Amino acid sequence: MAPTTSRRAFLSAGLALPVASASSKIDFWNPAEPAASAVKLDYKVLGRTGLKVTTVGFGCMITSDGSVIERAADAGINYFDTARGYSHGNNERMVGAALGAKRKQVVLSTKTHAPDKAGMQQHLEQSLRELNTDYIDIWYLHGHSSGDEIHDDMIEAQQTAKQQGKIRFAGISTHSGQQQLLPWMAQKGAFDVVLAAYNFTMDAGMEQAIATAAKAGMGVVAMKVMAGGIRSVRPGDPNYDKLTHPGALLAALKWVVNKPNVATTIPSITDNDQLEENLKAMGSKLSSGEEKLLAAHLEMIRPIYCRLCGQCEGACRKGLPVADVLRCLTYADGYGQFALGRERFLEVTTGREAIRCGDCAECTVECPHGVHVAERVARAQELFA
Amino acid sequence: MKAAGLLLAVLLAAGTAGAEDYLNCHFVPGWEPSGAKRQYAADNLFEYKDGGAEGYLSFGFVRLQGITCASGANTLDIDVSEMGDADAAYGMFAANLDSSLPIAKLGMGGQVEKQSASFAKGKYYVELVEVASNPDSDDTATMQAFATKMLEHLEGRETPPEVLEWFVKENLASIRLVPESVLGLRQLKRGYVARYPQGQAFIVQEESPEAAAAVLNSLRQGFEGATTAKVGDEAFQATAKYLGGVCIFRKGRTIAGYANLPEPQDASTQAFRLAARIP
Repeated sequence: MAPTTSRRAFLSAGLALPVASASSKIDFWNPAEPAASAVKLDYKVLGRTGLKVTTVGFGCMITSDGSVIERAADAGINYFDTARGYSHGNNERMVGAALGAKRKQVVLSTKTHAPDKAGMQQHLEQSLRELNTDYIDIWYLHGHSSGDEIHDDMIEAQQTAKQQGKIRFAGISTHSGQQQLLPWMAQKGAFDVVLAAYNFTMDAGMEQAIATAAKAGMGVVAMKVMAGGIRSVRPGDPNYDKLTHPGALLAALKWVVNKPNVATTIPSITDNDQLEENLKAMGSKLSSGEEKLLAAHLEMIRPIYCRLCGQCEGACRKGLPVADVLRCLTYADGYGQFALGRERFLEVTTGREAIRCGDCAECTVECPHGVHVAERVARAQELFA
Repeated sequence: MKAAGLLLAVLLAAGTAGAEDYLNCHFVPGWEPSGAKRQYAADNLFEYKDGGAEGYLSFGFVRLQGITCASGANTLDIDVSEMGDADAAYGMFAANLDSSLPIAKLGMGGQVEKQSASFAKGKYYVELVEVASNPDSDDTATMQAFATKMLEHLEGRETPPEVLEWFVKENLASIRLVPESVLGLRQLKRGYVARYPQGQAFIVQEESPEAAAAVLNSLRQGFEGATTAKVGDEAFQATAKYLGGVCIFRKGRTIAGYANLPEPQDASTQAFRLAARIP
């Protein structure tokens, strides 16, 4: 086992030096216990911030115990993400307590969902207090999907906080509308970092949006790196065993880690086992076997997985709200919520009860993502109507 | 067949209407609905809660129904989240409460503030958040009134999970339900963690004493240098880098213990007290 002091020295070096990688050992239980696994730390520069961040970071939102965060910091992970709104501030408190003296060795980000300057300033003071620090490295506007939602006073609040030394860099986190928001941010020039949902199920448009952001100098942090993908597979699914065996989640993480325009990722890490698994994604290429695994999963969900992109809106010649109908089917098929699916189906098809997909010789709706629309809508009608 | 279909439709409609009885702006005079009722399921909760959705999902979130009420320039968002079971609903409440405020007798537990309230009853976790024209106004009475009326329309358990009574009360700072991996250990699937000024206690229940024994054995193998302790049916104590002095024991199908104490002996002493409270 590598002595603790060596790990800390390495961690410091990792933050101070240009992009670097090296090997380190971690112990998951006791200082005396032999290392559980060999970890190759891998760093990238987070855009114009110049921060050297490990390509695998740590999303703290559902972490079960502060000891997992402490362990991760010792293992070399140096990017930790939380938010003011997680568990009404209790998550920030746990993160602050867990990082303790290691705070200055890591990059710490949090977020505010306040809609105006006064609220943001109040949130910032609370975040600093709960995280037990005098500065936040990256302060995100939490969960925005359009430039229209970002008012000048919100940008001003970020800039003021920067001047006061309370934050180092400003950013926005986003789950939807990303393909429009990221270019807007790039053009606006007021943001140093974007935290975006990005995973292997997404199309080339998202890759282009991320490239635009990176080209403008913004650091790109990816979240939801596994959401909408492998986690959606349920017991009983023909691919369940294959996709849930150890290593499957790792493939999804590696897919994002290996994207050149993504500096780091923040997979939610619940426990020590997950931490150990995620660490393996650093500095390792996606193998052909893993590529096939992800491709197989994508191919499997493609005919049924509606991304709610809205491109089918108005395309049905009979006027069926296709995306809404597919969502109802997801409630029933994906989540076992038949009653809810039916209830919503009856709502969204009001006035169009008599329409049946089988009545049309040819479907006018063509999903750009390959969803078999007519087949799926027909199933919804069979199930609910 | 047609009659059966009609009956099913009527039953479904009745069920839907009943399910939303608890969402009513007129519970408090002067408040009116503003906009349509909202509803989210597990697959689209992100659209409403952003990243915070993951916290709900980890507690077995099923669906959310909500309404916005208005009174003059003030608005009040009322959201009712249906969780997997009552334990999960209480867990959501405990994970989100303000530990500096007292817990009120609202359902299984609740908190009422000047412009917000939260509580859990049965499998429902309820949040009320007011946006007032005067951010300093004290609308505690309004929050309390809404909560009280909603409780009359929500079904389910009103007492906190029995297991909470087992924790030692002296110097107890907080209790929360950890939905998976208690203490960061995957073997401890789901359980309650109580925090004290020094250290934390936990209680996890397995299906059977045999299952609990297997988990304890697996845990013990992970703690190098663990020694046997005389607590409950079987126990061990150890020193771990990130969990400090630890003692974990089994009593029947319950696995419990203490962690983050200076020495394993300290953990064993506290664990002994905890074991005595577990039936």
